[in-house]
Amino acid sequence: MKLRAFAPIAVLVLLCLMIAVFSPNFLSVSNAIRILNAAAIPMVLVMGATFVILMGSIDLSVEGVVSLTAVVTASLVQNNLTSADLGYWAVPIAMLAGGAIGAVNGATHVLMRIPSFMATLGIGFVCLGISTAALGGFPVRIADREFRNITLGRTFDIPHGVYIALAAVIVAYIIQQRTRLGRWVYAIGTDETTARQSGVPVERTRILVFALAGIFSGLAGALAAAQLGQGHGLIASGRLFTTVTAVVVGGTALSGGVGSVLNSVVGVLIVVVLTNGMVLMGVPPFVQQGVQGLLIIVAVSLALDRRLLSVVK
Amino acid sequence: MKERIRDLVPVAALFLLVFGIAGYSPGFMRPDNLLTLTADTMTLFLMASGVTFVIMLGSIDLSIQGVASMTSCIVAAMLPEYGALALAVALAAGALSGLASGLVVNYLRIPSFVATLAVGGIVTSVAYWASDTRSVYISQEDQDAWLDWATGNFLGIDNEIWTGLVALVLLTVLLSFTRFGRMVRAVGSQERAVIASGIDVDRVKLAAFVLSGFMAGLAGVVMGARLGSGSPTLANEFLLPAIACVIVGGTAITGGVGAVWKTFVGALIVAVVRIGMTFVGVTVFAQQIVFGLVLVLAVAITMDRSKVATVK
Repeated sequence: MKLRAFAPIAVLVLLCLMIAVFSPNFLSVSNAIRILNAAAIPMVLVMGATFVILMGSIDLSVEGVVSLTAVVTASLVQNNLTSADLGYWAVPIAMLAGGAIGAVNGATHVLMRIPSFMATLGIGFVCLGISTAALGGFPVRIADREFRNITLGRTFDIPHGVYIALAAVIVAYIIQQRTRLGRWVYAIGTDETTARQSGVPVERTRILVFALAGIFSGLAGALAAAQLGQGHGLIASGRLFTTVTAVVVGGTALSGGVGSVLNSVVGVLIVVVLTNGMVLMGVPPFVQQGVQGLLIIVAVSLALDRRLLSVVK
Repeated sequence: MKERIRDLVPVAALFLLVFGIAGYSPGFMRPDNLLTLTADTMTLFLMASGVTFVIMLGSIDLSIQGVASMTSCIVAAMLPEYGALALAVALAAGALSGLASGLVVNYLRIPSFVATLAVGGIVTSVAYWASDTRSVYISQEDQDAWLDWATGNFLGIDNEIWTGLVALVLLTVLLSFTRFGRMVRAVGSQERAVIASGIDVDRVKLAAFVLSGFMAGLAGVVMGARLGSGSPTLANEFLLPAIACVIVGGTAITGGVGAVWKTFVGALIVAVVRIGMTFVGVTVFAQQIVFGLVLVLAVAITMDRSKVATVK
């Protein structure tokens, strides 16, 4: 058990060593900053996704929520389509919007009693549809250079997005360790029936956790908009895959109850370092999705506690 | 009796929709228009028909859009040099990705939605590799020589419709009149009981995933033939409508209940809804919104909640 807990970190260290051997450029300060920068948005996303997966559920709406909130953000700061100019206030609004969509995810899943992967698949497509339909397929371009500093600006040579991601990790860790919500998530993920009988408000917690995941996705949407200087329906493509990979590679079990947001921090680093290493070693970019697919399979099969599963659907 | 009524709701909905649109725009009922509509629906049906088996097991296959895109690339890239062999390789690749999903679900005991999400990623990489990361055009000669079965016409009816009908008949026979079909239904209704009676459940599941991959592969080939090109993102918008077809037709995601003809009806409903939305002036982009909502609603209606103790 103890060994398994350290496996993800061991994998990360081994991976770094291997890449460093093949490519000396890997161990440079500028490359480290590049890795941190690439990890920022996925880091924010997995914070929310971890709580959902800890409950044994899944949120497949990540790409939809990120693209919709990126469009919201881009249309609220100075841009080429609307006359809005809210500056930094666009970020909390995007987070609220994300939270609202997350609450809809949770409510659909809980109140209509349908599995979360179906509810979030459907709602995710709705969000993607809204963000493309609202713009007729075109992007909104951000004209506010100041605003783009929330991810692009640098303090001590490190992009601001990295600090924001770090803050997100701290907030998520506090929620996990110090709040009732955090403990309830583990209780529900471990055994929902027992949790219910011991008085955990299962339904409310589930909705809250999906809303929380939405808030993190909303933040990620705002960061993505600032980073790329635009918002459009395809801005988030590939994000879901990376998010799920990072969470399970970090060692959080899809069956729920086992894992932590810190595991997911390691998971994101593994995925990002691997991608970075493949680029340094000249592996074509399209191979990355395949490698991530393999990673998911390997990680999940290592992390699953098979005693709990007599029937796998 | 109640089940009979439930069976007929999708059919009734289809007729209502068709007549509704006909009232709105009388030209809609012209036979050639209806035939075009049906032909356009067939690729979606082909994709959904294989998944029907997987969903009836109570599992899901999220890799179908990746598989279809991949086979379109393989066919487009290989046709000029290899001819008919290209078709065989593409279909085999589809079946092989289904096999991979099935093996991962069975032997690594990974839930199908994650397993197929992962296999979908791998398959997409293969598609990019096969197509050299771009769209590959299929020349007119190759099209006429090798893909006429998919794009030509016979007795005045587009060959897509014939292909779809053949699939409908064969898969219906497979599901309703063979041991495999009965097993799929049984595993979907009472997996533990089937295991307890000493039947090799893993083999049934494996076969269902292979079938799903094969049909998605076939759908990709037909799609590529229709569009005259293969591309690694060709089928990207098809996952949601394909699953919607299965569920809207009345197959429950909890497994055990369903039929291939229901998926056929579901595919027509999806197509008619799409046409209807275009008539009413809903843009293509906004149609995704409607399909997302329809999917959620249909799942909520068809799901058998007595079967799942806790909904995760």
